[in-house]
Amino acid sequence: MSEVHLDEKVESGGLIAHLRPHLKGYGIIWITLALFLLLTVTTGPFFSEANLRNILDQQATLLIAASLATVAMIAGGFDLSISAVFVAAPLLALQVENATQSVLLAVVVGVLAGLFVGCLNGVVVAVLKVNSFIGTLATSFMVFGAGYLISDRRILQPETETFRKIARTRWFSLTTATWIALGVVLATWFLLSRTRFGRHVYATGGNPEAARLAGVRVTGVTIAVFALTGAAAGLAGVVSASRSLSAMPSDDFSFLFGVISAVVVGGTSIAGGEGGVWRTVFGAFFIAFMINGFNLHQVDPIWQRVIQGAVILVAVSIDAWARRRPAG
Amino acid sequence: MPTIALDDHVLLKGISKQFGSTRAIDSVNLTIRRGEVHALIGENGAGKSTLGKVLAGVHEPDEGSMTIAGKTVRFRSPRQALDMRVTMVAQELQLVPTLTAIENVYLGIESSRGPVVDDRDHRDRYQRLVQQSGIGVDPSRRVDSLSVADQQKVEILRALAREAELIVMDEPTARLTADEASNLLQIIRDLSVGGTTVVFVSHFLDQVLDVADRITIMRDGRIVRTSEAGSESTGSLVEAMIGRTLEANFPPKSPPDTTAETVLTVKGLGRVGSFEDVDLQVNAGEIVALAGLVGSGRTEVVRSVFGVDPVDCGSVEMLGSGVGLGTPRAAIASGMGMIPESRSDQGLMLRRPVRENASLPRLGLFSRLGMVLRRGEQESVQVATTEVDLRAASLEMPVESLSGGNQQKTMFARWLIERPRLLIADEPTRGVDVGAKRAIYELLAGLAEDGMAVLLVSSEIEEVLGLAHRILVMRGGRIVCEIDGIEASEAEVLEAAFGTSAEEAVGV
Repeated sequence: MSEVHLDEKVESGGLIAHLRPHLKGYGIIWITLALFLLLTVTTGPFFSEANLRNILDQQATLLIAASLATVAMIAGGFDLSISAVFVAAPLLALQVENATQSVLLAVVVGVLAGLFVGCLNGVVVAVLKVNSFIGTLATSFMVFGAGYLISDRRILQPETETFRKIARTRWFSLTTATWIALGVVLATWFLLSRTRFGRHVYATGGNPEAARLAGVRVTGVTIAVFALTGAAAGLAGVVSASRSLSAMPSDDFSFLFGVISAVVVGGTSIAGGEGGVWRTVFGAFFIAFMINGFNLHQVDPIWQRVIQGAVILVAVSIDAWARRRPAG
Repeated sequence: MPTIALDDHVLLKGISKQFGSTRAIDSVNLTIRRGEVHALIGENGAGKSTLGKVLAGVHEPDEGSMTIAGKTVRFRSPRQALDMRVTMVAQELQLVPTLTAIENVYLGIESSRGPVVDDRDHRDRYQRLVQQSGIGVDPSRRVDSLSVADQQKVEILRALAREAELIVMDEPTARLTADEASNLLQIIRDLSVGGTTVVFVSHFLDQVLDVADRITIMRDGRIVRTSEAGSESTGSLVEAMIGRTLEANFPPKSPPDTTAETVLTVKGLGRVGSFEDVDLQVNAGEIVALAGLVGSGRTEVVRSVFGVDPVDCGSVEMLGSGVGLGTPRAAIASGMGMIPESRSDQGLMLRRPVRENASLPRLGLFSRLGMVLRRGEQESVQVATTEVDLRAASLEMPVESLSGGNQQKTMFARWLIERPRLLIADEPTRGVDVGAKRAIYELLAGLAEDGMAVLLVSSEIEEVLGLAHRILVMRGGRIVCEIDGIEASEAEVLEAAFGTSAEEAVGV
């Protein structure tokens, strides 16, 4: 069987066999860099400080949520409620801010609201054993609804200057939104690659039964990753409200689509057990560069969607294909 | 000439099938006559199921030729076998549980008028099928509401609906009650009288003797002999199945220290439908083997001891203190380690590096404030993998790129980083090559010599005999006898496992 075949190649340490997984695994880096170079050459405005700074600022909220969504996906969980939390948490935060003028309290409440929804998702998935798609779809509707209730269907705006400054302050020419995203990305990277919890996340997603037999608290890990994802979505929502100086109730799933696209285009497997936050960063910027390039080349926005969808399809097809190879 | 074509349904010449480095069947020559019930028997792993699967197109043989009904064939899929009217009723039934019996029978061969399924035609054909075969199952019942025996009947009806002339049945009675089994045997006889050839793969010798016209005995992938059922007895069959001297493959057994403390004590452990009244002890430095046929409850017992599956009654103690049941985490904390039955399903994160797989249960040793200290981890894993002689280009290779033997050594390395007081090893040499097998035997013997208590589960009788200080034989979910591992003979263990009486076997 192919098992033996593989052994010979790998265990003898052949150069190609050694390089192949890396070429396959790091494709997203090369593609993103290639796109970067292509746009630098074909359009003048792309490689300008203002444009790149803008892209960084625009991607900040997505990266905050997508980093932790990556963790959930590696653990084998799929969180659809990110959008709902992203919409509803800042509404709660702004109500608190409007009522108390305390920005700190507002931010804490926004993040805790997300954490709470995340815990609920985690319990639904890990304890009640509901499929994570369905479970988080259900909580999505509850949270979207809560958004309308919290805001009384109004658009809310921050009253304090401090809240407006959360995301909009410039440090070393980058916005605080960008810095917050950078912090979350680094913290997530550390969590995944350096901590025991991170190992347990990979183990849980890679083979839950084996993880349990090795003494990993699989239920606890699952609840924790959903909780963290919820909190990150809440933080993303608050940063977004500060960036746009408002928050509005809606039933809009589009933020989730952006998050999931970034994660899977980066190469984190939907099947769990594999992936990394750096992948999601590249995935997010690949998509961001692509959209930026479309705009600079004045591609019809309708066509942009079609192409974006096709790109995601190609990315997940490659993932599925790569997974099939060793087994076949 | 024409008589041969009529008489011989299947002719196998030089059929071999290799899995990894294991030769599951080796140059098999076999003739199966049309309309006979032909039994394939042998110990676990003798190759009887594999041979059945080759016949039914599930496995493609590596070498040899197959002639069916006078035509030379080469099956690459069960579909191609079906085209030659050969099919299989597998051990795990392959029905769609949410469909009705009749829907399952005609699944994939529906009669239709245009796009519309012709249910009336199905009912007519079903009725005829039931009349011809004498196998009655309510056609409108959902399959998941039927008993295993009835599900099996649906499988047989399905085979007949596809006009199968040869049906391979792999351990069809294993999950049936005595009554259901004797019903099935009657069905098999009727099929045979009606002209259908049945290949009956089983380890129930009395049933084999009861139903088969001829019996083929297999051992180590080869055929020992094919004979008329009338000329065999359980004793002669058991003898032929063993028929081999123990190879000097095992490290010498050191007599265990009789003053050693008791590490594991299991009392009255029971789980409804799996096992009952299990009492056992394992002392430090002792290898205790649970032997028995597949399905006798061996694996279920050790899984429950390790907290993987819940139990309904009984207790487990490690070094005199009770272990919280139901979580492997508690079992590990109490000093147990386990090599599970299937390393790919229950043991390894196949796509993660060897290092992460080896260190997972002991990560706490290398962690400070929740952070994993890579250097300490690296060093410990290096030491452990060297000790088990794991060969990999690097510890960063995904474990799936290793051979079966090295994957299993990864599982052993896991428990060498910090040694548990008790190691449960469930089929530790399954799917590994001969060299790795020998290495694993030495490892187990060495660990016991150093004072570890080892609870071994194995389907390979020579492994049990070669390693164990004490052998506990299970049958039907109970421990039926304890045999001293130093003096035990293969026949003694097999007789206890098969439930044949000692006199009967000795008498032959």
